Amino acid sequence: MILTRETAGGRWRIRPDGPGKVTGRLKYLTDLALPGMLHGVVLRSAHPHARIRAIRTERAAALPGVRAVLTHRDVPGLNAFGISRQDQPVFCSDRVRYVGDAVAAVAADTPEIAERALGLIEVDYEPLPVLDTPEKALSPDAPKLHPHGNVLHRSEYRRGDVDAAFAECVHVVEETYVTPRQMHTYLETEGGLFVPEPDGRLTVYAPTQHGLLDRLQLARILGVPEEAIRVVSSPIGGSFGGKDELNIQPYGALLARATGRPVKIHHSRRESVRAGLKRHPMRITMKTGIDASGRLLAHRVRIVADTGPYATLGAEVLNFATEHVIGPYRYANLDVEGVSVYTNNGMSGEFRGFGGNQAIFALEGQMDRLAELAGIDPWEFRLINLRRMGDPGPFGQQIAQTDGAYQVWVKLKESPLWRERDSLKRAGEASASAQSGGAARPPWIRTGIGAAMVMHGFGLGYGIPDPAAGRLRLAEDGRIEAIFGYEEFGQGLFAAIEALMIDTFGIGPDDLRIVVGDTDRVPDSGSSTASRTTAMIWQALRRMEQPFRRKLLEAAARLTGRAAGGLTLAPGGVADAESGVLLIRYADLAAKAEETIGAQAHFHFPTTDLERIGAHFLYSYAAVAVKVEVNLLTGRVRVLDQYHAVAAGPVVNPMGYVGQIEGGSGMALGFALLEDAVMENGHYLTGNLDTYLIPTIADSRGTVAVEPVEELPEGDPYGPRGIGEIGSVGLAPAIAEAIHEATGVRVSRLPVDPALLIRRPEDLWKAVDGR
Amino acid sequence: MIERTNPLPAAADAAVISFTLNGEPVRLAVPPARRLIDVLRHDLLLTGTKIGCEIGRCGACMVLVDGRPVNACLTMMYQLEGRRVTTIEGLAGGAEALHAVQRAFLEEGGFQCGYCTPGMIVSAAALLAERPDPTDDEIVEALSGNLCRCTGYGGILRAVRRAVAIGREADGTG
Repeated sequence: MILTRETAGGRWRIRPDGPGKVTGRLKYLTDLALPGMLHGVVLRSAHPHARIRAIRTERAAALPGVRAVLTHRDVPGLNAFGISRQDQPVFCSDRVRYVGDAVAAVAADTPEIAERALGLIEVDYEPLPVLDTPEKALSPDAPKLHPHGNVLHRSEYRRGDVDAAFAECVHVVEETYVTPRQMHTYLETEGGLFVPEPDGRLTVYAPTQHGLLDRLQLARILGVPEEAIRVVSSPIGGSFGGKDELNIQPYGALLARATGRPVKIHHSRRESVRAGLKRHPMRITMKTGIDASGRLLAHRVRIVADTGPYATLGAEVLNFATEHVIGPYRYANLDVEGVSVYTNNGMSGEFRGFGGNQAIFALEGQMDRLAELAGIDPWEFRLINLRRMGDPGPFGQQIAQTDGAYQVWVKLKESPLWRERDSLKRAGEASASAQSGGAARPPWIRTGIGAAMVMHGFGLGYGIPDPAAGRLRLAEDGRIEAIFGYEEFGQGLFAAIEALMIDTFGIGPDDLRIVVGDTDRVPDSGSSTASRTTAMIWQALRRMEQPFRRKLLEAAARLTGRAAGGLTLAPGGVADAESGVLLIRYADLAAKAEETIGAQAHFHFPTTDLERIGAHFLYSYAAVAVKVEVNLLTGRVRVLDQYHAVAAGPVVNPMGYVGQIEGGSGMALGFALLEDAVMENGHYLTGNLDTYLIPTIADSRGTVAVEPVEELPEGDPYGPRGIGEIGSVGLAPAIAEAIHEATGVRVSRLPVDPALLIRRPEDLWKAVDGR
Repeated sequence: MIERTNPLPAAADAAVISFTLNGEPVRLAVPPARRLIDVLRHDLLLTGTKIGCEIGRCGACMVLVDGRPVNACLTMMYQLEGRRVTTIEGLAGGAEALHAVQRAFLEEGGFQCGYCTPGMIVSAAALLAERPDPTDDEIVEALSGNLCRCTGYGGILRAVRRAVAIGREADGTG
């Protein structure tokens, strides 16, 4: 059933954080201000690659109203950060490697004075050759960007003998796919408030996707124990992976520590573009062959990722891409190699989809090309090779079994949109455009429908610390606190926790207090990344449900003189299980109970037993169909209708589920048709939202139907699967196939260049005239 | 009346600007070219109005000036002399009240992270004040200056359509 407000019925609930958001009352961390606070700004490198000869800050420091000017000399602890490996300097000392590199930071009484002071800092640079492509960086005579060279990471997977297998193939397709430097474009740019406390601790109010990891990284930089720092990290005005790594936090923390005063930093959009993460541009070459019956005999893949100057999670993104260029299909022989290369371009890093978007755009492109060569319907072709229940994962690893791939395959096959494609094809191109538009369309408007499959791993994967935890507690005021170390960046964390707490315990929304985003209060639940949080909350509640309920009921039994077995949790308090009559309010229970009533769970995200870093155990599946309209005069593509079947277990929060798939697909629409942070010689040509174009409402008028497949195999212990990223993956390859259906043109580079789709008038004339 | 002297500019640079803010008369001594967004967010601590690009492209800072939507990042204080400014905080006309558009956004899920939401709601409210029963083309035109990165706009379109329906019910014509 298509999931909508109407079909969700009573489970479609107003988000607990909604009223604050629609009224403007909710304070984001970049909205905070304190009396006497200073304003911090960061001096970024003038060059994409240069040696630093000297840094002189005296004139800036002498400007009235300037309270601190900091450089590499002022970092008490580790002058480096990075979630996975710490190779990014907080402040550069002798060399800059990209235009976002920080050289100095200023705190001043006003933003205007701080900006003026930046202009007074003198840095002597000696420009170095700019490695602005992975190819240049990989050439033997290229300067080394890091002591170990210009390769961040290599990844490979082999099975069988692809060379021998290609000789036996009846059809072989070879293609190179190129994907853009997509920007997260969270509407709230990076920022926050940094407050030295009277007890000597530092409170950091700044968005992140893992508060405790920020605390660890900041403790290293400041050279203080982790307990000396408190990180408050929610609510967040969008992240999509982009605020996972540290951004302004080191500067705010150091400036606050240096001045002893609160310091606020809030990036301009230009600085956010310049310094912030992007999606890895990838060049993926694939050679794939099939036998006469359409079976995949050989699949050779080469991935080159431009990771920019520093690591962050570039290696992990490449591992993910390596897994997902194999994806949901069976192959007789495989040969995959990837390399993630340091360059002097912008920072690439974690971004919703995590390398899967690039991988699956390429993989699904191969499937469509092979199907065409073999003369097989593209969707039927996928079924010939699709992994089914009982199959291992892409690396041959043990995975949690579901039949998700086949389930979404069937749903798409039966969807109205795919059936429309069949009738479009039967009717033929000329009459099709007239039929689908109602009134006759001009001959330069062509429509087509395409589809794609997605298999998306979630959780961080084998060999990476991936803890999960939660706490429940009856607070002194009678509220039941659900405490998790996760972050609310819009995905609907509050709504998911509320829905699960109500469904699990039968309490009312007013009985609940949700505590997240504060390292002083939460357990180490792991990161809010990799589509993992809802699943981890569900699994934590499964562990805590019985002990917490039992303690509540036993305490109520003692206080009411009834048998615990005859009691139940209800909105407002503990009630008689039979009559439903309320016997004791939670507030009274809290006041009178002899000990604190609580429960906690600590566990690790379930992993596969294959010893391969990053290999996944849990997967979600999606099938996406899309109808597009191509204007042959302008080359512009309009997305008309979308259909998404998603197999990810039970729907926890219907509004959030629809929102994640619709919103993810909006991002994929931009990836496919609009977005690229263009760089030239290591400098951004797209500096703000006038040249970096994300979809507007006018680009997004088409319908989006979301159909969840909730059923899991009997006895499945893992519950809801991740859906935070999967919606952002499948639309791009589906659009590429739909464009091919409409025009006969195969696109292999994103965003789609309209020039490729423009047809000359004589061709048009032929189309109209039939000659 | 809100009176506040901005500590930032030298007194010689300041001009006294009188306007109405969310129904209240305001007199402010500010540099005439200071941006409205800075006065709202920094000087008056009215942070419901957001800031996203500072060049009038994202719409996060949308406010109403005499009922028409404008980007507060492109509005200078001298332009406001004698005018009526409404921000998200004043849209519903009361602390606990909700505008029909706000209610519809809540019910339909027309937001996720919520950062674009005040601007989006201000633009939608301006449209409905002028055209209570807009076509989809008119909705799209009215919201094309407001970017949202979370929702893909599906929930936003449904929310505005619902706000139209709420308005019809209120009029007794629905």
